[in-house]
Amino acid sequence: MTHEEIGLSGTPKKSVTIVIDGRKCRADEGEIVLSAALREGAAIPHLCYEASLDPYGACRLCMVEVCHNGKTSMVTACTLHATEGLEIRTDTPEIVKYRNVLFELYLAEAPKSDVIKEMAARYGVTRTRFLKKIDTDDPLGGSCVLCGLCVRVCNEIMGAGAIGFVNRGPYTVVGTPFFEANTDCIGCGACANVCPTHAIRIEDRDGERVMHSWGGGRVRLAQCGVCGKYYAPGALTAATLARLLPPLRDDLAGLCPACRAKRIADEEIRVNMRGGADHHVRPRRS
Amino acid sequence: MDEKTLDDVISRYDSPSGRLLGILGEIQNREGYVPRDALEMLSAKLDVRLSQLYGLVTFYSFFSLKPVGDHVITVCMGTACHVRGAVEVLAALEQLLGIEDEATQDGKFSVTTEDNRFTLEIARCFGACSMAPVVEIDGNLYGYVTPETLPGILGNYGWRES
Ligand code: SF4
Ligand code: FES
Ligand code: FES
Repeated sequence: MTHEEIGLSGTPKKSVTIVIDGRKCRADEGEIVLSAALREGAAIPHLCYEASLDPYGACRLCMVEVCHNGKTSMVTACTLHATEGLEIRTDTPEIVKYRNVLFELYLAEAPKSDVIKEMAARYGVTRTRFLKKIDTDDPLGGSCVLCGLCVRVCNEIMGAGAIGFVNRGPYTVVGTPFFEANTDCIGCGACANVCPTHAIRIEDRDGERVMHSWGGGRVRLAQCGVCGKYYAPGALTAATLARLLPPLRDDLAGLCPACRAKRIADEEIRVNMRGGADHHVRPRRS
Repeated sequence: MDEKTLDDVISRYDSPSGRLLGILGEIQNREGYVPRDALEMLSAKLDVRLSQLYGLVTFYSFFSLKPVGDHVITVCMGTACHVRGAVEVLAALEQLLGIEDEATQDGKFSVTTEDNRFTLEIARCFGACSMAPVVEIDGNLYGYVTPETLPGILGNYGWRES
């Protein structure tokens, strides 16, 4: 996503009219059509759309029909940008047929995923003609649809690159090298956060974060200096603190979010009572 | 693979495109497989994530992560060979070499005998379909293979009936 798209460039977005299933809606020019359509309440299924990453179009579920100059074509709504007068349909017989086959494929690919089962059922698909992928020791519990969001977020946003696609074709899985604990993992948990099927298992216990799905890697958690609670992976807090300016950094180091908020509030109150002269909580800069 | 050899290999690839595959390919050719320590060293030297290298090595069937035996036997399981009896040929080879049928975790079929003399692998189409079924041993192609002709062929590579 470019700065223009998220409106950081300063110039206000031009508004355009798009037509979703015959209904006129407003959208920002260039906006991702899937996101505009969801805001308008359209029921377009989707698995791999994540606003913080570039459009990717991996899961193919958000397929819609576009009418352009009287001609129709099928495209993924998550890679489509809004333009004036754009017309899409989300439930033509062709789309429905296409989508149903996809649901069947996903039911076979991730037979244990409740998210997939529920989503498919909402569109009337409850069984699959394809061979189900059954692997009893799958660290992702038979729920991974290989959308790639976890891999991308780990690489592109966190910069850790701890996981990747392994193997090829029907044997493709997501995992760490050699399926073992990987020291590149900072334990941020972003992968589990973006996973549309909640396939990734992470557990915090005894001051450690255990990456069950990623070879059982363990990352030490930082402990709050005030309340003693374990609150975030040590490596992650260190990296975040490194981006703050020194006075704030030193103030906040070793505090959990709750104690941090309390400290900032206390500080504000103290400073305000003194007349607001020297408070040194500066805006964050990267 | 020692560090010096690896440095040597790396120094021969400076163009950014295809660099990783070039280096990995040379490691594979030299060692007959891609040793884990070479992969780890390479990751540190080139500042490329191990997950990326592992993804590459497991993606291409050209690479192997396990050492292979003295002789590598590849059975073609392409469509033509399949139709002309590749399944029987593979089963006969497994029996002759005394290895159990097992697919490895990565889906690449590659099994090595206990004495490390032979590695049995499968491939999809050598482009020699007219001689189907086809078996390749150490780069030599054998066509019209049957379970009966296998012992003779293997004999050329030091195999003896036990
Ligand atoms: S684990 Fe989740 S996020 Fe990662 S590829 Fe599988 S479904 Fe997508
Ligand atoms: S959400 Fe559009 S292809 Fe996955
Ligand atoms: S199918 Fe075996 S050589 Fe073509």
